[in-house]
Amino acid sequence: MIIVIDALNKDRFGDLLDEMFQLRARVFGDRLGWEVEIVDGREIDQFDRLDPAYVIGLDDEGHVISCVRALQTTGPHMLSDVFQVLLDGEPPLRSATLWESTRFCVDTQRLCRDGESMKAVSMATCELMIGSLEYARRSGISDIITVIDPVVNRVLKRSDNAPYDYVGSTKQMGKVPAMAALLDCTEERISRVRAFAGIQHDVFASDDAVRALLDSREDAGSVSADVAEWLALMSQPQEPEVPVLPEDIRDYCRAQIESAETDADRAAALRLVEILVRERIYPATHQLVAQG
Amino acid sequence: MNADLIDLGSEPRHAESFVTFLDQLCDRFELDHAAYAGTNPISGSVHGYVNYPDPWKQHYTQNGLHRIDPTLLVASRSIAPVDWSRLEKTEGFAKTFRDAKDFGITDRGLTIPVRGPYGDIGMLSVTRDCSASDWKKLSEHILPDLQSVAVHVHDTVMRSDALSRALRYPALSTREREILQWIAAGKSQQDIGDILGISHRTVEVHLRSGREKLYALTTPQAVGRAIMLGLIYPL
Repeated sequence: MIIVIDALNKDRFGDLLDEMFQLRARVFGDRLGWEVEIVDGREIDQFDRLDPAYVIGLDDEGHVISCVRALQTTGPHMLSDVFQVLLDGEPPLRSATLWESTRFCVDTQRLCRDGESMKAVSMATCELMIGSLEYARRSGISDIITVIDPVVNRVLKRSDNAPYDYVGSTKQMGKVPAMAALLDCTEERISRVRAFAGIQHDVFASDDAVRALLDSREDAGSVSADVAEWLALMSQPQEPEVPVLPEDIRDYCRAQIESAETDADRAAALRLVEILVRERIYPATHQLVAQG
Repeated sequence: MNADLIDLGSEPRHAESFVTFLDQLCDRFELDHAAYAGTNPISGSVHGYVNYPDPWKQHYTQNGLHRIDPTLLVASRSIAPVDWSRLEKTEGFAKTFRDAKDFGITDRGLTIPVRGPYGDIGMLSVTRDCSASDWKKLSEHILPDLQSVAVHVHDTVMRSDALSRALRYPALSTREREILQWIAAGKSQQDIGDILGISHRTVEVHLRSGREKLYALTTPQAVGRAIMLGLIYPL
């Protein structure tokens, strides 16, 4: 079953998010060797602080077996801020009807404990793909750009869900290469994946049903200190006052841009403003950019 | 597509033109009312445009409902459009809409949150007084177009000061420029796919991105603007 967790319902599902961050640490840190930051066995990055939506797959006991994270391409997202290398220096696609999906993974360890492992992994993968495509589609989204590794790319192809194209080029990220693939959210694609997996039922479970399932477990509601802190940080009501660029800095920047005599000067002046603005608004994200 | 909506990307822009745009949007998508609210951290400004009747606007302002209204405060944190039915149990919902009926205002609506590149956030809200099943049908049908319209309004509003305009100078990729160049040469999307050896869908997704980066609602507007900015050559 699939649940979507975003800023509106995450307070109810801290335990699921905690499990998801642990799964991400095992997959992206241990297995793929990406340069991700892992604290106390949880992988959480700056984009998790931007209120993304998570599409999460659960097994019958309510344990996380798969997950993926979605962000709008109109705002800060991974391809615009940290995965630029994949785009060969080109600006990223930006569109109201294009979402970016990242951190797509399946818990092969948990699924392989029982006999029929390959089938279980394939089913979990397909269910997550159906869930994320349907969630995007009903949100008015037409396409998804997704950062994946060659293994996931092969899995997509094998599941009759092959990307219709790629943007930029494949680059080494840690132990394995990564690439940016395009998927449409059409009925046709969703039907193909459903047919391949033999999944005809509604994959989504209601918030109440999932909460009830989790509460019936003995370890219900356990959340690590780090994730609790993350949740508390995220639960603070949106500041009505956004961090504003001070007027003198604004005037200075405008003067720099207006007095630029060459394209290079102008570009440099713009870059300066961009850094200033980003540093004020997304201090941590900016740090990531600086690290490359 | 969207040819009957005024193109906000061309100047000059005034408050009236935004409200006119909201009126046209309601006509086109069979909606009762529409509202846009957005904050720009670069200019330090807050923008709001609505086509609600004046008595409701006064009631809303006098009671400070913008400080509790979850269709603004809560919905802005989603990445997906938020149907107001999802907010019914949220603090502030009942209070915001308690007197709405007396003003002929419905609580059947949805909010499309927009995130911009510089910490700017915008929200386009629309309403329609109709049955739940009609609303479901209508909202599903119009959502893809409404998403594009929401970003169009937001981007345009965010460009109202000189510094923001400079920062938001369209950054088109080589592929986006190449596709617009072939469109300017009169080629169809199918032709362009064949010429460049890419799928029709790839052409479409790049064209859409290029069009939106140029603050245009239609492809001809985008081509015109790209020529004006010297991003492609006139033919």
